[in-house]
Amino acid sequence: MRQAGRRWTLATLAIPAVVVLAVVPAARAAQPYDGKTITIIVGYKPGGGYDRTARLLARHLPKHIPGKPTIIVQNMPGANSIVAANHVYNLARPDGLTIGTFNRNLPLAQLTRVEGVRFDITKFAWIGSAASESTILTLHSDLPYKTLDDLRKAEKPIVIGTTGPGANTHDFPLLLKELLGFNFKIVSGYSSSADIMLAVERKEVDGRAGSYTSLRPFIDRGLVRPVVRARATEPGIEKLPVDEDLATAPRAKAIMALRSGPEIVGRPYVMPPGTPDALVKIVREAFVRVARDPELVDEATRAKMEIEYVSDVEALKIIREVLGQPRDVVDEFSKYIKFGD
Amino acid sequence: MVVSAWAVLAATAWPWKAALFPLAIGIPVFLLAAAEFCVAATGRRASAEALAVDFVASQHVDRSLALRRTVATFTWLIAFAGLIVAFGFSLAIPIFVLLYLRTAGGEGWLRSLVLSLVAWACVHGLFVRLLALPFPEGWVQAGLRALP
Amino acid sequence: MLDALFEGLLLILHWKAFAFMLLGVGLGFWVGLLPGLGGGTTLALMLPFTYTMSPAEAFAFLLGMHSVVATTGDITSVLFGVPGEGTTAATVLDGYAMAKKGEAGRALGAALMSSLVGAVVGALALALAIPVVRPLVLTFGSPELFMLAMVGIAFIVSLSGEGRGGLRRGFLAGGLGLLCAMVGQDPQAGILRYSLGLLYLWDGLDIVPVLVGIFAIPEIIDLAVRGTAIAGDVSYGRLGKGVTEGIKDTFRHFGLTIRCSLIGTFIGIMPGLGGGVAQWLAYGHATQSARDADERKGFGQGDVRGVLGPGAANNSKEGGALIPTVAFGVPGSSSMAILLGGFFLLGLVPGPDMLTKHLPLTLSMVWTIVLANIITVGASLVFINQLAKLTTIRAHLLIPFIVLLVFIGSYTANNSYGDLVAMLVFGALGYAMVAAGWPRAPFILGLVLGKLAENYLYISTTRYGAAWLGRPVVVVLFLLAVLVIAYPFVQARRSRRRAGARCAS
Repeated sequence: MRQAGRRWTLATLAIPAVVVLAVVPAARAAQPYDGKTITIIVGYKPGGGYDRTARLLARHLPKHIPGKPTIIVQNMPGANSIVAANHVYNLARPDGLTIGTFNRNLPLAQLTRVEGVRFDITKFAWIGSAASESTILTLHSDLPYKTLDDLRKAEKPIVIGTTGPGANTHDFPLLLKELLGFNFKIVSGYSSSADIMLAVERKEVDGRAGSYTSLRPFIDRGLVRPVVRARATEPGIEKLPVDEDLATAPRAKAIMALRSGPEIVGRPYVMPPGTPDALVKIVREAFVRVARDPELVDEATRAKMEIEYVSDVEALKIIREVLGQPRDVVDEFSKYIKFGD
Repeated sequence: MVVSAWAVLAATAWPWKAALFPLAIGIPVFLLAAAEFCVAATGRRASAEALAVDFVASQHVDRSLALRRTVATFTWLIAFAGLIVAFGFSLAIPIFVLLYLRTAGGEGWLRSLVLSLVAWACVHGLFVRLLALPFPEGWVQAGLRALP
Repeated sequence: MLDALFEGLLLILHWKAFAFMLLGVGLGFWVGLLPGLGGGTTLALMLPFTYTMSPAEAFAFLLGMHSVVATTGDITSVLFGVPGEGTTAATVLDGYAMAKKGEAGRALGAALMSSLVGAVVGALALALAIPVVRPLVLTFGSPELFMLAMVGIAFIVSLSGEGRGGLRRGFLAGGLGLLCAMVGQDPQAGILRYSLGLLYLWDGLDIVPVLVGIFAIPEIIDLAVRGTAIAGDVSYGRLGKGVTEGIKDTFRHFGLTIRCSLIGTFIGIMPGLGGGVAQWLAYGHATQSARDADERKGFGQGDVRGVLGPGAANNSKEGGALIPTVAFGVPGSSSMAILLGGFFLLGLVPGPDMLTKHLPLTLSMVWTIVLANIITVGASLVFINQLAKLTTIRAHLLIPFIVLLVFIGSYTANNSYGDLVAMLVFGALGYAMVAAGWPRAPFILGLVLGKLAENYLYISTTRYGAAWLGRPVVVVLFLLAVLVIAYPFVQARRSRRRAGARCAS
């Protein structure tokens, strides 16, 4: 008797349970990201700018994606993020669970036909860019050069420290020297931009180029003074002369534009080609919203990072411009600029 | 034998130097490499008592046995690498531990199994669960997934 | 200054900060122990958690974790011959050799105690150097750093074997290391060098899989060949007593321990030298403390001084590395770069402010390093006997687990299969070197210092023409390098004379 009773209780409990379990997932499944984990693949080691941006986003994006998925960051350094880009393009599954972020100069790598590139950057499912980078050249505040003309007329060569070809610390002043005739002596090989700043303090070098974000603390401290900037701009440096404006020859202008174009797509975020549009749209929306999220803005400001959404449409437009340059411009560009870190 | 392997390496390093920009560094190192080549030829005569500031491989084990075990161990290592590529870390680890303990270790089934599971649990628990470190799946799994 | 010191201590002793420090220590304990969990990566992972903490708590946590990684990393190096961290590779040479002789306890005791001494010295340096830091760092420009790299390379001489054959092989190994250092993209012209057409080699060889491969793999093979436990056939009794012996060793050779701590601190202070250098320079210096060539041969076979040197240096360099990070905002190592992110996150600006306005906070960091290490060493000593017992387990039981650690350690450095291949390749190389009697330490020296030497040479010549050769510090360092090279020969001559005198009498 007791056995039968127990069996009945079991049934009375089981049936509604089964019904609920069957129905609820069906209802919740309407959220494609429910209970899922998205991975952001970063083409650099932990600690760098791309990595920190990704981790910051990973913490705040879930709120803005229906279903509140978990987002984790995976580092895949190698060949200046060509390895990561190759992976996201060829190996990652287009199921909406992978996002990739990599070196903003990859379009240049594709353009200059760097060996090892196994992707077409326009074919990624683009989310957009999480920030734009503005490159500026700064000089030690103690130096007497106040205007650009002073610089051009300088008798002693001005020593600019750089890390190596491919970095904006190197390429920006290099173009200024080669195309505009500034009297610079480029000294490269420093292990990091922080080391260059030390060299500036030591008066071993006279100045350094780099992203405004990374130079800001030193400008604020009064160590260096910004002198000229590239196309992309940020509040605080808009009044600086722009390198492209200073160039008279159209070829020179084109080359400078080629270099600085990708900087507007400063932190590119993509998904593997073939990811369903609906999913990409959800993620794009999330990016738009997270850029305005007060918590993210607060954390970003504290960490001295700028998050600003550049739409996929705009990003692709710039990239197509870069890729569409005529061959002779590209060839001359390659003479100065090599793809690197 | 090893020394001549070095000589070959040094020789192949030779032609590359010419193509490289930083000759200033390339030249002294090239000279060193050339020294390597010459020395390696004469080095065969140098006897083994010029000991390095390093450990000496155990000498009290019979040579043929030592050779066999060396080759075996190398094979194991490469096999493990192969297992990892084929099955992904998570699966390869218990498989490897099991196989090794059974064959080379000569341990009983129970102990091998238990230790394999322990190994897998530790790795999975610590690296995968706790730290979410990515361990890609192996070809076998990818292949299986590709099947309808 | 004194009251700031006291205030700093109070900041740490506040229960919340202390709790976080303990948490960090617990975390760091395992991170250092397990190869594959890098101190740097874990720091990056832990950074977001500090968002809600106060600065004192956050640094207690982060530094508590970070400063003990080098201490426990020595443990794995000694017990298994697998470097627990990139910075503890040098301890493998003599530490593991001692374990093989059944002296694991002693080696562990020495490693731990010297780590503590090193950490304290490094922390002291951080506290005391504050007024001197700026001029000190500013005097060391690229030419000086180049010379420093030369001094390091000069140590190859003492790390080679004796006799012409030994010296030759030492230089060959060092040269090979230098060559390997040039793999990757060249920072002068952007040309890819020696990359064999592989994307993997674009950025050069990653030091971690190379280290793990070249040191751990030959040991594993040797272990398999011997078929016994790591400690051979030594009975357990000797192991346990060894720990106190090891601790006493640290103080017996106190001069050496302190000197190596200072070396480590100094290297840590110099930004741009990287973390792997300190341990090898300390090891090189330790080998020089051998009284004659015969004694020097003992290094690599299990001389406790080979453990004391690197053990102290890799801890003291952490304290040293904090100095430029805090005082200039220039990270002294890659983990410091991540710590820097922590500064910003907490709203602090590294620079002169940290040394004046926030002095107690900076000094609380000093206390954290000291306390964290004391706790770790204390806790480890309790467990040491159990840990040392591991060396008595049959090889075949242990090998799969060691192999596991080695593989995971190499892979997770960069999440790259290429690293596994590199590890195996260099493992084979390491084995070949050992079999042929070639010293491995010079190879590593060449590998670690190669890029630095080349870059700084270029920078110096481009910037200063030939003038840099005349700078005072450069000359001093040059003489130092000459001294380092000459020392073994002088020693040999002196001992020959002594032996001759003995024979005569």
